[in-house]
Amino acid sequence: MKLKLYISIALMSLLVHPVVSQDLNISGKITDSNGEGLPFASIVVKGTTNGTTCDLDGNYSIANINQQDVLVYSSVGFVTQEVLVGSQSIINITLSDDITSLEEVVVIGYGTTKEKELTGAVSVVKGDAIEALNPTRVEQALQGQTPGVDITSQSGSPGGGFNIRIRGISTNGDNKPLVLVDGVVYENLGSLNPSSIESINILKDASSGIYGVRGANGVILITTKKGKRNSKPEISVSSYYGVQETSRKLPVLNAFEYGVLANEAFAAGNSAVPFSDPVALGTGTDWQDLVFEKAPIQNYDFQVRGGGESTSYSFGAGYFSQEGIVGLDKASYDRLTVNFNSNTKLSEKLSLDLITNYTGSERKTLNENSIGSVLFNAVNMAPTMAPYDANGDFTLANGLGSEVINPLAQMANTYNDTWANRVFGRIGLNYEIFKGLTVESSLNFDYTNERFKEFIPIVNYGTGKVFNQVESSVNENQKNFWSYTWDNVLFYEKSISSDHNIKATLGTSSYRTRGEHLFTTGWGIPNNSVEFADISRANEIRIGGARSEQFDQRLMSYFARAEYNYKYKYLISVMARRDGSSRFGPEDKFGVFASGSLGWVMTEEDFMSNVDAIDFAKLRVSYGTTGNDKIGDFRYLSSLNGEGVYVFDGNSLSIGTATGGLSNPLIHWEKNNQFNIGLDLEFLNGHFGLTADYFIKTTEDLLLEVPVSGLTGVGAPGGASPVANAGSVRNKGLEVALSYTGTVNDQLKINVGYNITTLNNNTLSLNDGVSFIDAGGFGIGQLPPTRWVVGQPLGAFYGLVTDGVFQTEEEVAAAPGQTDASPGDIRYVDVDGDGTWNNEKDRTFIGSPIPSLSMGLTVSLDYKNFDFSAFANGGFGNDVVRNYERNLPLTNKTSYYTQRWTGEGSTNSFPRITTGANDNDLFSDFWLESGDYVRIKNIQLGYTIPSNVMKKIGATSLRIYTAINNLYTFTKYQGFDPNVSSGEPLNSGIDIGYYPQARTYQVGLNLTF
Amino acid sequence: MKTAKNIIIGILALAFTACDDYVNVDPIAEINSESYFNSEADYQQALIGAYDALQSTYLNVILSEIASDNSLCGGENANDVTSWQEIDDMEHTVVNSELRNVWKWMYGGINRVNYIFEFRDKTEFEGKDEVLGQAAFLRAYYYFELVKFFGDVPMPIDKRTQFGEESGFGRTPKSEVYAQIEKDLIFAADNLPIVQAELGRVTKGAAKALLGKAYLYQEKFQPAATVLQEIIDPSYGYDLADFGTLFLPEGENGIESVFEVQYSDQEGAGFDCLQCSEGNVLVGFSGIRGYNGPVYADGFGFNIPTQGLVDQFETGDARFEHTILDIEAHATANAGVEYSEGWEHTGYFNNKYIPRKGEQSIGDTHITNNRNYRSIRFADVLLMAAEALNRGGIDDSQAQIYLNRVRERADLGNVNATGAALTEAIYHERRVELAGEGHRFYDLVRIGMAADNIPNFVAGKHELFPIPQEEIDLLGGTISNNNNY
Repeated sequence: MKLKLYISIALMSLLVHPVVSQDLNISGKITDSNGEGLPFASIVVKGTTNGTTCDLDGNYSIANINQQDVLVYSSVGFVTQEVLVGSQSIINITLSDDITSLEEVVVIGYGTTKEKELTGAVSVVKGDAIEALNPTRVEQALQGQTPGVDITSQSGSPGGGFNIRIRGISTNGDNKPLVLVDGVVYENLGSLNPSSIESINILKDASSGIYGVRGANGVILITTKKGKRNSKPEISVSSYYGVQETSRKLPVLNAFEYGVLANEAFAAGNSAVPFSDPVALGTGTDWQDLVFEKAPIQNYDFQVRGGGESTSYSFGAGYFSQEGIVGLDKASYDRLTVNFNSNTKLSEKLSLDLITNYTGSERKTLNENSIGSVLFNAVNMAPTMAPYDANGDFTLANGLGSEVINPLAQMANTYNDTWANRVFGRIGLNYEIFKGLTVESSLNFDYTNERFKEFIPIVNYGTGKVFNQVESSVNENQKNFWSYTWDNVLFYEKSISSDHNIKATLGTSSYRTRGEHLFTTGWGIPNNSVEFADISRANEIRIGGARSEQFDQRLMSYFARAEYNYKYKYLISVMARRDGSSRFGPEDKFGVFASGSLGWVMTEEDFMSNVDAIDFAKLRVSYGTTGNDKIGDFRYLSSLNGEGVYVFDGNSLSIGTATGGLSNPLIHWEKNNQFNIGLDLEFLNGHFGLTADYFIKTTEDLLLEVPVSGLTGVGAPGGASPVANAGSVRNKGLEVALSYTGTVNDQLKINVGYNITTLNNNTLSLNDGVSFIDAGGFGIGQLPPTRWVVGQPLGAFYGLVTDGVFQTEEEVAAAPGQTDASPGDIRYVDVDGDGTWNNEKDRTFIGSPIPSLSMGLTVSLDYKNFDFSAFANGGFGNDVVRNYERNLPLTNKTSYYTQRWTGEGSTNSFPRITTGANDNDLFSDFWLESGDYVRIKNIQLGYTIPSNVMKKIGATSLRIYTAINNLYTFTKYQGFDPNVSSGEPLNSGIDIGYYPQARTYQVGLNLTF
Repeated sequence: MKTAKNIIIGILALAFTACDDYVNVDPIAEINSESYFNSEADYQQALIGAYDALQSTYLNVILSEIASDNSLCGGENANDVTSWQEIDDMEHTVVNSELRNVWKWMYGGINRVNYIFEFRDKTEFEGKDEVLGQAAFLRAYYYFELVKFFGDVPMPIDKRTQFGEESGFGRTPKSEVYAQIEKDLIFAADNLPIVQAELGRVTKGAAKALLGKAYLYQEKFQPAATVLQEIIDPSYGYDLADFGTLFLPEGENGIESVFEVQYSDQEGAGFDCLQCSEGNVLVGFSGIRGYNGPVYADGFGFNIPTQGLVDQFETGDARFEHTILDIEAHATANAGVEYSEGWEHTGYFNNKYIPRKGEQSIGDTHITNNRNYRSIRFADVLLMAAEALNRGGIDDSQAQIYLNRVRERADLGNVNATGAALTEAIYHERRVELAGEGHRFYDLVRIGMAADNIPNFVAGKHELFPIPQEEIDLLGGTISNNNNY
């Protein structure tokens, strides 16, 4: 249950005084939509100054009224109501919330506040905005909606995850924000039904410090829909059905073009040409056409909400099903969600809050986003090969290296399934000790069981393929997770003569998460058949074929927050938190984090009262520290969890013991210091809104796996670098959100929202000794393409610099060190200027995977019963590495190879193709492309059936709509999708054939009774 | 209401007195390395961990071949595994990830041995010296690798080097490292049996053979000859085996095997941790690219034998066909053979260590081959003994006997030369007998003939590999690198 603050302006009661001329006495109670009494609400006889105010419980009585009088009931933040007295003597009134944006409730963690009182940088996304986008996952709806929140897709496949980054990335470890759904720590947002969301609040600055330890990467608070007291049951049904297709196919060579280029390459390499008559090859096989399908997506939701005198409730059920644009049912996601929430007043002062959610899901996947993925194969497979051979078997991809295989065979031989059952929720008791002092105790719980089963059949994809299997096997895994958070919080609030408004929060929170995982592998499946793919049918379980993992991680926190404002003009909030984490050693478990913020509502000042154009202006400043413990468990202890396996007596394995990851007893809290200055403006009669924030976020004592001397034994099997507090990263940027709400005439309403974010990411220091960390992968057997070093953003690309293409032998001769080069090959720059080129020493920083600018734009129009909305977002300033080409003599190539160098003067941009020696495939800026894009993410057109028509069938409203998601992407990037990322800071922006976001055509309806 | 109030007050009382101890959690089912070695089994388990690092020496073997005049790097293209290509061309620098792997993996093994010695006195049990003897051998083996690659190296012994302690180490002179190697091997030889119950365990003969090799590398010819001749004595039971099956499964751990690194194909592996593979990674990497046919299996086409090596074989040498695969001849002789040519293709492959058809190689077939690495063969012992006797001016006729024993198996005639000519004959015999087995580069270096035989080899520089710059930096940047890097 949330603490509610109801404001009354006592001034109102002073303005009115009784007039003695009538004789009726009217009494009653004024309540809000939850049935809570509204203290200090005012009652005035219309046209007079006769009036009164409610007491603390919302009760009132007013004398000297006659039957013709109209009573005006009002309270700040609520819609004013007028009632003709008539014959009534008791008039109970429920006032509905007047949601102007300034009065909107903002969840700030352990309590709420109102937009106008807010002193931190908090973004709010409403349920309506989410629902309008019909997202399959919450993150999709957040993308581009608010400034400072960067969301990239890990994969467009059904059930594929997203990376959420709030205000940049600060570590090469875990950059995920803390996500709480109704107070429950929530790791996998895929299991949340987006249509159950009431609002999303994103704490971006140090105000997330109330979550101390876990708040360093920002906090996302999701509130689900609840019922309201004293409201009739409202039944809503919504559904949509859609067809998905790929938003992009890569232009690749057809068989004829491929044959010509292959011949050219072999001839240039002094080898016999492979195709005697390329013309006869025709267009060949379009593997992408065979792989991409039109796939269905559908969603059904049912919800009932309402409430009586003392109880409010909501019940919902939803079903979502999506098949993949690659593999259809072989890569699918199904989700069933059920939720039940209730809030009951057990007595005047005690209420009970219950939230229960169930999610069941099933996901099947194909190999994606890696070298050897289905899409990678579809791009690299030779177009001259038919999908099936003369016997009707899948064609073997011989001659195309070890990784490229027939993608159809690959899909047919993939069998896996993940089922997850999750129950989470909350039980909370709220007790009002006396007016203004409330205590709340709540237990938030989460239980998840995840089962995984995979059958790997005996299969031959061709000579030497790494995916060939000589034995069949089955993997069955069981994972159980439990976690709970037990929060106990005291809230106090008091207004002193309405000038001094005080709130205080004091609490403790204990969090525990446990997991038990069991992994089993069985070998030898009868008949090599999926129907017998079960551990119980396997012929053999070998050493190491059954493994387990378990963890028990805990946090203990004590926190306090004090808020004060003077006449809502000067606002101040301070908080402190002491956090302990089981991840640190005995001496370093606890850390103290504090933050504070100030607000100044300038429009409350006298000197602003003349400025009519500005309705509201507030300046906010905050500074504070949050902590981070997102490392593995027990990294302060040296455990024997390394790999120590050897072979004695022939071929059998002997399991020994060995030290695993190196320990560091000195690890302690990573600290995140953030400064924020912000301005909120509403102007021109509330038609325009602007929120601007500038932030500098400096992460210190970064918890990293640091490079360490080989003397420590780190290189032994199962070894890993120790975690140490080393390094500092700074993110700074400007976030601006603009909104316009207007009405052209009564029938056309316009809403426009635009936001823009700049981000500068820079490394201020890194550990001693080796002062850089190399990471990432490019091609096969090549040097790591990213380097993390002081002065560069995380994941900066580190490679060679090209200087066109050698046109002549003379030019080659003038480039010492490029011994493998011939005319037509790439000329590299001798970066270190030592007179000779070297493929290791002449690397430098050539790009960044982090967008420096991102934005989002929403436009919505309502005209009569029609509604239209469009949403676009974009990212600019980052680079993407093209790494989805295998570049073997006979693998297929993308169409840009038609612009290759063919002789002196032909081009200075694209190297020749040859099977002979060359250095053209080395990682250089040739493989780097701008990741700039703008995407029309959603357009939607709806029509609401007139209510008089609906009433005849007993319904309240019916809206039907059609929508297109991912309509079009404006980009020069050649790959499938510029807005995808592995999410690993030091390996992001390297595109190995990322699964694109599907384009979806939908029709749907929303029906309420 | 009273009850509710009491409940609330109770909860509050509980919550606000909640204590810091809540976050004191012990690991579940994890063994703390500080509280181990409580039984013989613990020592035995830790010893298996120390053996494990032997499997990562596949890299040392292939680098020695590639660096020498025996093989070219090969692979898919000129930039396939850049670090190997550079070593092949003697263009390697202080930044070379594979040399760093050698450094890290060998110290990984040393650290595991030192862990055992750190707790050597904790628990007593019968046969402990035999455990320690094996451990001492392993440490000597790993240090020998390091001293061959890098010369003077930091030498932590008898205690793990924990994170934060590494900066105290400078480079210990090569002579002192050798002294430690000798000490460990003498201890091992004194405490190990001639025959071990389990195949693959270190024996007395293995310890003596490695000791003899260490003496020979230091040109201590008399002690080398003595210790090597001890194990040539029939009481140790070694003999030359049939060369035709020596490198096939049936030849594993046979009569000629003095010390073998054991591999298995029963567990999958990944490219992100090649040192974790239980299989011999060298084999798949040396295999024929795109091979499809009756005898062999596909590989990555590295470690390509040179024509120069092939030319070293005398006519009629029975070892040739088992050492060198002529792929064109093979394709002609066998119908349906397909293969593709990789980088630096010579038409030859290392027939001792390439994948063969029918091998199980679970997981990724290229990195889980079960072929044991014949680290020290009896033929090697004979040739080392011959060399020590000859170069030490001790006994040329005995040297001839050992040399000719090896030649006889190869169906070659006796050598009757003495003095320097005999030395040359022994060198020649080492090259062909041990071709493709990872000895050539160090042999060339120790006899001072590397510059004459390896293209681009710079005398005074390339005898040693550079200590990886990152490792120098991580030791505090105070130690110097090898000459001319």
